Amino acid sequence: MIGKDKIFSLLQPIIKKSPADQTEAVLINGSGGVSRYANSTIHQNMFETNSKVYFRVALGKKIGVASCNSLVKESLNSALNKAMEIAKNQKENPLFTGLPKKQAYKKVKTYNKKTANFTPLQRAKEIKKIFDKAAKYNFDVAGALSTGDAEIAVLNSNGVACYQPTSSAGINIVVMSDTSSGYSDGLSRDVDDIDTEKLAEIAIQKCLDSKNPQGLEPGEYDVVLEPTAVAALLEWMDYIGFGAKSFQEGTSFLSGRIGQKIMDEKVTFYDDGNDDKSLAFPFDFEGVPKQKVNLIEKGIAKGVVYDSLTANQDHTQSTGHALTPDSSDRALALNLFLKNGDSNVKKMIESVERGILVTRFHYINGLLDTNNALLTGMTRDGTFYIENGKIKHGIKNLRFTESMLRAFSNVVQLSKERKLVGSWSTDVGCISTPAVLIKNFRFTGKTEF
Amino acid sequence: MKEQLKETIQYLKKKGASYADIRRTQRLSQNIKVKNGNVEALSQNEDAGFGIRVLHNGAWGFAASSILTPAEFKRIANLALEIAKASATTKKNEVVLAENEVYKDKYISKFRIDPFAVPVNQKLDLLIRSTEILMKHPKIKVAEASMDFFKTEKIFANTDGSLIEQSIIESGAGAMAVAVEGTDAQWRNYPNSHGGNLGTMGYEFIEELKLLDNMERVREEAIALLSAEPCPSLETTVIISSEQMALQVHESCGHPIELDRVLGTEISLAGGSFMTLDKLRKLRYGSSKVNITADATVEGALGTFGYDDEGVKAQRTDIIKEGLFVGYLTSRETAPVLGQKSNGTMRADGWNRIPLIRMTNINLEPGDANLEDLIADTKDGILLGSNKSWSIDDKRLNFQFGLEIAWEIKDGRLTGKVYKNPIYTGITPEFWNKCDAVCNRNYWKVWGVPNCGKGEPIQTMHVAHGTSPARFHKVQVGVSK
Repeated sequence: MIGKDKIFSLLQPIIKKSPADQTEAVLINGSGGVSRYANSTIHQNMFETNSKVYFRVALGKKIGVASCNSLVKESLNSALNKAMEIAKNQKENPLFTGLPKKQAYKKVKTYNKKTANFTPLQRAKEIKKIFDKAAKYNFDVAGALSTGDAEIAVLNSNGVACYQPTSSAGINIVVMSDTSSGYSDGLSRDVDDIDTEKLAEIAIQKCLDSKNPQGLEPGEYDVVLEPTAVAALLEWMDYIGFGAKSFQEGTSFLSGRIGQKIMDEKVTFYDDGNDDKSLAFPFDFEGVPKQKVNLIEKGIAKGVVYDSLTANQDHTQSTGHALTPDSSDRALALNLFLKNGDSNVKKMIESVERGILVTRFHYINGLLDTNNALLTGMTRDGTFYIENGKIKHGIKNLRFTESMLRAFSNVVQLSKERKLVGSWSTDVGCISTPAVLIKNFRFTGKTEF
Repeated sequence: MKEQLKETIQYLKKKGASYADIRRTQRLSQNIKVKNGNVEALSQNEDAGFGIRVLHNGAWGFAASSILTPAEFKRIANLALEIAKASATTKKNEVVLAENEVYKDKYISKFRIDPFAVPVNQKLDLLIRSTEILMKHPKIKVAEASMDFFKTEKIFANTDGSLIEQSIIESGAGAMAVAVEGTDAQWRNYPNSHGGNLGTMGYEFIEELKLLDNMERVREEAIALLSAEPCPSLETTVIISSEQMALQVHESCGHPIELDRVLGTEISLAGGSFMTLDKLRKLRYGSSKVNITADATVEGALGTFGYDDEGVKAQRTDIIKEGLFVGYLTSRETAPVLGQKSNGTMRADGWNRIPLIRMTNINLEPGDANLEDLIADTKDGILLGSNKSWSIDDKRLNFQFGLEIAWEIKDGRLTGKVYKNPIYTGITPEFWNKCDAVCNRNYWKVWGVPNCGKGEPIQTMHVAHGTSPARFHKVQVGVSK
């Protein structure tokens, strides 16, 4: 960690001396380790220290962006000069009305010292607990445990100067027998929240329960989707529909539907970067405070998340969801929530006459028909057949192809308990979601295991 | 810098490393995107650092840093050793590496025009003019064109004595039109979806794409899709375009032949493989028309390099020979399982990542068919265009692809009827065994794939596939019942 004072004293003089009309610097610095394990041994064990500094400069409405990963002054000045050169050769951006001005941010706890300083040996000890538990059943295990810290600072010539240190710990566990597998995962700012043994037990139980899976014909089934499975759907929905860019381009499933009822009234999606039940973070990569945004409220399409440029296009204010200055995706919901209900997974299973419980999805793709949020993907690591309110047996994996507008219109129950699931596509995103019971979910294909 | 690398290697030897390598990588990248005539993104990034991989007491450790001082090299070397010792506390077997030749070499990829020397204005002009042609219809809501350039300088040294320098330039471009009517959005890309096409070449690659010559067709196809019928759901004969065959090869052959995946070391995220060790030289992967190679030496292809990130020389390997599965992509750690040496596929997407087995250029070798003859020989069928979506199970068996466009074939000719939202699905070996023709070298083209994901943290690799159109019978098109 470099620390707020050092970062500010490094970047503020460069911003002050910048010949641009307006200058912004975004600094991301961090260290972390990932211990990957497979075949019940740690096979990839890594540590990284890295930084990145983006300069965004404006000459009138001409914008240039350049970045480097060196904190040496010459490199920083060189990146700033490159941004200037790009801006000079740039065309005017009519949507640019200026960099954000100084604002106040909510105080959120984002850093845990123990997590930041967790050593390779400590990670190995945690992983060994999984090996020991699985060995009792002669099961094989694979997964990863990551711990680390990061600090993010945004400064600009309009007075924005914000800084936040963070830490995070994440684990995923796959337990395998000859015929089955089970999965569990955990994510927190605090490594002590990760109960490795409990998570290992969950994955082991799923592996035991799904042994010798039977084939099931594709078709419409009621599904109990555990939170990790729901999060995978939500991540794609965010990517194709909750950001202003896709909305403005007409490819979002919210385009042309604001104010319309598009899902069941039990369904409320929102983004809240200040809620510590998520990996909270108080500002975006333009230094704009994160605001709570209702995306879909009681089934009615409400809105999308914005950065400054997309907000200007819709004559509104940024919601504090800008991505890094080099991103053309502009804005995404990085602290996505699905509002909880009052049920639980046990109750959901009991209410299903003939259905499927899904632990996790694999390789979802949401580009089939984005306006209808048509997603496809496979189940994996613990898929079960439910009959007359009870789990009967494990089943071989199935492919679903389903519109999320239809699926979330068929929501019957949501669990009270929510789980935090990390994003695979961004380093900083996460999703807090309950388990969900959906009627008549469409499975369209099957595989051999 | 070379001396610093050599010193660090000597230090690690003294500290008891049984093997170590160090990679110093510097990458310059530029991304330009124009949307509806305005510049959407224009940025340049410089990234530099080094990574040290150590084998100590039979277990791996890896550490990396962006700070390029002598003290940091020493700190990171010690950290890599410490990590290897932590790994060793769980080890079951000692890591053993296959023998490899010692190289002292310098590799520079071929290019004619340095893309970073081409003025930004010249690039912007081409992209803006491209989007202006696309926008000449009120229903085109988004007209986007982009370029990407990369210049990567690597120095690799290891305890075997290798010292390899590489300089690789990559260039690419593409354009997309999104037609919108009500809540229907349809898009077409040129020359391929997901960013166009990229190659290990200079700016001459952009010039050869002839973006402007193709914008009008792309625009009109996007518009036509708005009023097109949805693709019907049926079992039929399909002729798959060269660009979609690239992704078909990528997902259903390129990934399952990665030997690390086969041996279970990528299970938790990317999954395993149905092409297990017992299937080598026994599995009838496809029909006799199917020949697939891994070839890191194809001139100008995005998966081409001089040496991999373990210092193994780039090479060509047979993967599928007349339908029979005969080879994997391997590394120095995995190849001994087969009693072989590495075939040079270990690559990392940056200095801060460990190398993994990655595709190089995985090519469907040309057959002997003419596309026109194949269409004339098809009574009822569908010609499938470029990719829109992709999904496959975690052992690479059940796949489903969505396409931007499809065309009806009836009585041996293209009727002119266009279908929107086509999907096809299958089980990998069943599907490839239905292949009865692959078009000849006249139709063979190399497609760069710049976004191949694998590993934790995710690593995005540049790979490529040389493919020509191919015909398959009894394929499920549309969403299966």
